[in-house]
Amino acid sequence: MGAQGMFNTHSPEFLEPDRPPERETPEKVQAFVVAHRAFFILLTVMVAQLLLLSAQVTRNHKVRLIQVWAVAILDPFERALHSVTDLTTGTWRTYRDLLATQEQNRELQRQLAAARAEIQQLSEQATEARRLRDLLEFKGRLSFQTVAAEVIASSPGEAAKAVFIDKGTDAGLAPDMAVITPSGIVGKTIAVFPHSSQVMLITDTSSGVAAALERSRVQGIVKGTGPNLCELQYVMNESAVNTGEVILTSGLDQIYPKGLPVGTVAQVGEGNIYKSIKLKPAVALDRLETVLVVLKPPSQALHALNSPSRP
Amino acid sequence: MAFVALLLQAFLPVRIPLARLFDLPLLVAIYFAVVRRNKVFAIGLGTGIGLLQDALSSGLIGMFGMAKGLVGYLAATASVKFEIEEIFGRLALTATLVLIHGLFLAVLHHVLLAPPPPFNPLELVSGTLVNAGLGLVLFLALDKLRKQ
Repeated sequence: MGAQGMFNTHSPEFLEPDRPPERETPEKVQAFVVAHRAFFILLTVMVAQLLLLSAQVTRNHKVRLIQVWAVAILDPFERALHSVTDLTTGTWRTYRDLLATQEQNRELQRQLAAARAEIQQLSEQATEARRLRDLLEFKGRLSFQTVAAEVIASSPGEAAKAVFIDKGTDAGLAPDMAVITPSGIVGKTIAVFPHSSQVMLITDTSSGVAAALERSRVQGIVKGTGPNLCELQYVMNESAVNTGEVILTSGLDQIYPKGLPVGTVAQVGEGNIYKSIKLKPAVALDRLETVLVVLKPPSQALHALNSPSRP
Repeated sequence: MAFVALLLQAFLPVRIPLARLFDLPLLVAIYFAVVRRNKVFAIGLGTGIGLLQDALSSGLIGMFGMAKGLVGYLAATASVKFEIEEIFGRLALTATLVLIHGLFLAVLHHVLLAPPPPFNPLELVSGTLVNAGLGLVLFLALDKLRKQ
């Protein structure tokens, strides 16, 4: 067996067998203290006597020096602790306040949304109240009996211009009754059911209204031509028609009372024999809400209003 | 021996004005610290003598105790490190330790007392020289007493 057979010839213990093993740190400290025992004893004795002296010496207002030193030593730590405590409580308080503010903000946002919705609702109600007041006022000035109705639906399809109202035979309605608003005429009833009726608008191609120009009293027939448009037909080229002129019902069709606005002249053109007069309806037929249905005995020409002034 | 030193320290200045510069308890503490060459013993001896001196004085208790404890430690340390059997060595050591004692007391007075007493360097130097000479004589006497 060689020299390296049983032993590790490169280990520190084999190379330096006399070197003492490394001590742990507490043992080093202990060894240091023991080696300088006298110095530490001197230090202890000096500190003890210093404390004894400080207990005897007084400073301002008879405060003992030891108290002054104790306060001086502890004061920075107390201040630091106070600062840390203040910072911690301040941060916590700020965080709590922020949470409360956030919650308050959310609540205020909710209240704001609710208030806006209520305002919108009240605004709608106010508008409707005004509209109904105007309608009532208008109805009061009429010389014939009417019944108010709400527009509840429109007929499907682009070609048919008709709406449904919430009054029917139970309210005394019948076909071919004029439907009007304070702004002008809307159309006439074409189908009446027990609790609702279908109203054909004046813009429907099947509609026809006997009308006359307000100034010249030239008469014609208003026919529906498309969405929100009508045409005044059978007006001779020689007749004087100006853009913006008002067209009223003539009452000759025995349906619409005389003197109600139909629309205003939007465009005037010359045709072969008759003029081509495009007119804009007086009533916004795409925003109908409440209408009046004229209850009239059949075959009776009616005048629109009791008073000379038009709505 | 410490007791005798204290007794003489209290008695002599009444009769001999120059004796107010003496510090016999200090010289005794230095001698025995050097002879015993034990630092712990020297600290204890110096502190004890100093506290007794404080108790007999009207000043604060602990002043002389701290100063003489420190001097005892230094004396024992010096006796271990240096050869001070010769006269010159003893003289130098005694003068140094008396000076350190005086300066340490002056610093303590300045730090602790308000207002601090005025620092008198002339008195410090003269006290150092007087005690160094006295120490020389005292140490020879104590050597003879010890041998007997």
